[in-house]
Amino acid sequence: MERPFTAKDLLLYAFLSLLLLMILLAMYMVDRQWEKLSQMQRVMQEQADDVRSLRDTVRSLDQRLQGGALASAPSGAGAVADPLPASFSRAQAAAQKADYAAGDWLVSAFAVGLKTITPLVSSDRYASDVQNYVLESLLVRDPETLEWQGLIARAWQVSDDGLTFTFQLRDDVKFSDGQPLTAADVVFTYDFIMNPAIAAPRERAYYDKIASVKANGKYEVLFRFKEPYFNSLSLAGGMGILAKHFYEPYLASPETFNQSKGLLIGSGPYRLADPKSWTPDKGGVELERNPRYWGPVQPPLDRLLWKIIANDAARLTTFRNREIDSYGARPREYQKLLEDKELTSRSQHFEYMALTGGYSYIGWNQVRNDKPSRFADPRVRQAMTYLTDRQRIVDEIYLGYAEVAVSPFSPRSRQHDPAIEARQFNLETAKRLLREAGFADRDGDGVLDDAAGKPFKFELVFFQDNEDARRLVLLLKDLYAKAGILMEPKPTEWSVMLDLLNRKDFDAITLGWTSGIETDVYQMLHSSQTVNGGDNFVNYRSKDFDRVVEQARANVNEDQRMALWRQAERILDEDQPYTFLVRGKTLAFIDKRFHNVALTRIGLNLNFVPVEVYVPAAMQKYTD
Amino acid sequence: MYHYLIRRLLLMFPTLFGITLVVFMVMAAAPGGISAQSLIEGQNLEPEVKKALEDYYNRLYGLDDPAPVQYLRWLNNVSPIGFTVDKDGELEGFSLTKGSDLGMSFRYGRPVLDLLAERVPVTLLLNVLSVPIIYLIAIVIGVRAATERGRSFDVGSGVTLLGLWSVPTMLAGVLLIGFFASDQYWHWFPTAGLSRREALVMPFLPHWSAWGDLLLLFAAVAVAVSLCVGISLKGGARLRMLLMAVLGLFLGGMMAAALPGEQGYLVTLVLAAALAGIFALVAYTDYAALRTGVMGIIGLFLGIAVAAHFAQGEFVRGFLLDRLWHLALPVLCLSYGSFAFLAKLTRSAVLENLQADYARTARAKGVPERLVLWRHVFRNSLLPLITVAAGLLPGLLGGSIIVEALFSIDGMGKLAVEAVQSRDRELVLSLTLISGLLTLVGYLISDICYAIADPRVSYE
Repeated sequence: MERPFTAKDLLLYAFLSLLLLMILLAMYMVDRQWEKLSQMQRVMQEQADDVRSLRDTVRSLDQRLQGGALASAPSGAGAVADPLPASFSRAQAAAQKADYAAGDWLVSAFAVGLKTITPLVSSDRYASDVQNYVLESLLVRDPETLEWQGLIARAWQVSDDGLTFTFQLRDDVKFSDGQPLTAADVVFTYDFIMNPAIAAPRERAYYDKIASVKANGKYEVLFRFKEPYFNSLSLAGGMGILAKHFYEPYLASPETFNQSKGLLIGSGPYRLADPKSWTPDKGGVELERNPRYWGPVQPPLDRLLWKIIANDAARLTTFRNREIDSYGARPREYQKLLEDKELTSRSQHFEYMALTGGYSYIGWNQVRNDKPSRFADPRVRQAMTYLTDRQRIVDEIYLGYAEVAVSPFSPRSRQHDPAIEARQFNLETAKRLLREAGFADRDGDGVLDDAAGKPFKFELVFFQDNEDARRLVLLLKDLYAKAGILMEPKPTEWSVMLDLLNRKDFDAITLGWTSGIETDVYQMLHSSQTVNGGDNFVNYRSKDFDRVVEQARANVNEDQRMALWRQAERILDEDQPYTFLVRGKTLAFIDKRFHNVALTRIGLNLNFVPVEVYVPAAMQKYTD
Repeated sequence: MYHYLIRRLLLMFPTLFGITLVVFMVMAAAPGGISAQSLIEGQNLEPEVKKALEDYYNRLYGLDDPAPVQYLRWLNNVSPIGFTVDKDGELEGFSLTKGSDLGMSFRYGRPVLDLLAERVPVTLLLNVLSVPIIYLIAIVIGVRAATERGRSFDVGSGVTLLGLWSVPTMLAGVLLIGFFASDQYWHWFPTAGLSRREALVMPFLPHWSAWGDLLLLFAAVAVAVSLCVGISLKGGARLRMLLMAVLGLFLGGMMAAALPGEQGYLVTLVLAAALAGIFALVAYTDYAALRTGVMGIIGLFLGIAVAAHFAQGEFVRGFLLDRLWHLALPVLCLSYGSFAFLAKLTRSAVLENLQADYARTARAKGVPERLVLWRHVFRNSLLPLITVAAGLLPGLLGGSIIVEALFSIDGMGKLAVEAVQSRDRELVLSLTLISGLLTLVGYLISDICYAIADPRVSYE
């Protein structure tokens, strides 16, 4: 006879499991303390290093003083008043405001979890947002004039043929671990990228135009290009400089680097607390102020935090709770939020057209299955543009927070010719053009037919998860039906869409491109790019356009180049290989405690480096 | 028995082979197929560059090989014995000790094992918390519903659970975040993630700056819990209901007062009435176990709230409590919909056995009803529950994509869906292999449990 299970047994079991749990928890606790101890050790080591280097400086100063440097003091005083580099002038202006104060954090949210923040290995925008604060390049663009200014480079020269760029580096730049940044690091960065063992095929492709990078002494670098290229200065000057002493060991074991999640160190104003240990499961990224930052203006914010909030509703709620400091809204939501008194009273909002914002378009495929499609006739494409009532799209789908796109060039850039205007909706002109192209309703069913009697019917491929595209397509279906054209929406999964693009197997597709500060149209529309894998998937071929674009790209004289871009734009406007749809505005809410947030020609200055936004002392929320 | 076990274990191999083969075939045949395209997705790149990129990935992961070759290579990699391959992809020889390798995910560029090591603990934590809650509540309610068949408890619990089951998780999650994680209503819980940044540097366990606070906490919790349990056990139905209704009214009023801005009387009234109603209903039920349990939990929270209110010193939440605090809403979302199925299953099994001859015999010989239920009937009703429990093992690792997306938790669900969307060959196959293996092991365990629970089942 077995003994029945009694309450006493239950108590015993409960006690035993409680004991087990306690031991487990205590083990966790001790483990965490160990981690913290090693963290503290690292900080102490860092401080010891700093003290040592400081002592060295003092000693050398001492020796110089004893060696009679005093005599030359008056001339030395001139060197102290080092002029402020132009790239820091905006930050300096912010620092001189009356309510300027250092401190507080900037907390933002990413919609997608990061896979890695190691430079070169990472490929998404989010990782580059983080790296932007850590890695510095030789030059930066002025956000208003869009001119290049020296950051790490003190000065630079271009050879007469436009092929060689010489940069003189500052001699006081240090990485966040105290090591100096020299020409060797710049050369190393290029060599590192070009090393086939490193998983940076994308960057390798970009820098393929560079023939060599050579150091000339400790603080001078020479970039040689293979051919004249309009964007060469931005290629050379915009390269994020990697620390040789930190990344070089990984050349011995490239796999470790390629699979790494958080190997990030640079000379920028912020740094990872531990440049090696970041992992995606930390639930966000945190950068702290680089205590050894070399720049003449120190960044005001103590920390930068990025949280991962995948759900849209949760992100808005988090912004309402003031746990994140910025929120990007969509048009419909933006309008609703503007009426929310509580939200608007403690946030500032911005609606702006970013220069690099990009545009959406419908691409008309001119060749399908090796036969010219009905969109091969420019009159048909023009008619489609006349039929696409873009003002209505702006008003109804984007609620006015967008503008009609005229061409791939932003109307705010010098590449755009102000004389070119967008085609207005015009049913009559469209019908006339279609009639001229040989389309008429021959069987009286209200649908246009071509000469062979086949109805004008086509499929429009769009990305199924894009809500705006879904609404857009329904509107277009109505508009085209007015002219007797049958359009069938075809929602498509992303990987399937890529496959269709690759095989050029579609009638029409709606997509978007991002722009640069100077937009290159070679990849999308040059006839050489109709080859397999090229981005000219609409099979647009124009000899005139090809010639003009080739000239523009190889021209390093800006004025001549702009004239060429405008010429290319006129050809595109006539040919309408795409029907350019709209350029959307960026709609952002920023917490009110951030001051000096302003719009520039590039966009909002919230994430600019050098940092120019700050929180006045009275409004600071986070302290360390 | 051993023969049976060995046979079952050996049968797993062809089954797993079949599962992965089918998954691979579907993936390879789907539009888009397996290719490096999704890695190069629509960036402004020149075709030569794109080609170079594609070649690079093809060389690295063998994405352009014929589909059967890709599958066989994967199979060879995961199998602990097989062919070894040198750096250039040439066969070197056959090895019995090469060990199995899940391969590299080409979307992440990292070993699959690394990814799993990152995601499994998160999902496991969520499920380890929610599964016991589901089972406990479902069984407690299901057994009672069977004994009270046709009466108000049966009907009421059935309607409530089915009602909960029919609420979509997406909606419930958004509502929970909107009401209980927002400054506009009650900001009690965090909106996303698994821990606050501050918690990462906190000590693991909670601690108090003043010992008095800890004592106060223990005292308050002890008093409140024993009071509630005492009332539940000893007090009459009227007294219980009255006390609980008053408590509900009070708490409802507090909740309304905690809302930001000025609240109308209506909101206060509705909230107070709703809470009072729910509390009174709990107190009214004559199901002592459920009533005492729920009232005990109410008492526990009450005690904590009182202690927190009167605490003098500083309280540091600690990593552990912070994690639990972040998990509250996700676990709620994961569990609320699952009660109905298990409760109904338990109810029908118990009901069937309650009317069985042996139960009547037991009653006839004078065994008290409570013992009949738990000693005889409940044990015999376990069989269908064991069948369901076979799904528990793979279920522990299977994440919920909806809950994970809602609360920004990086778990297995998201990993699996993203893997399928980007046709990440190694990752999809490894996930299939693991979940398939766990399912089969789960079935095997439940078959063994049958034999233990029911002596009539034998595998000789």
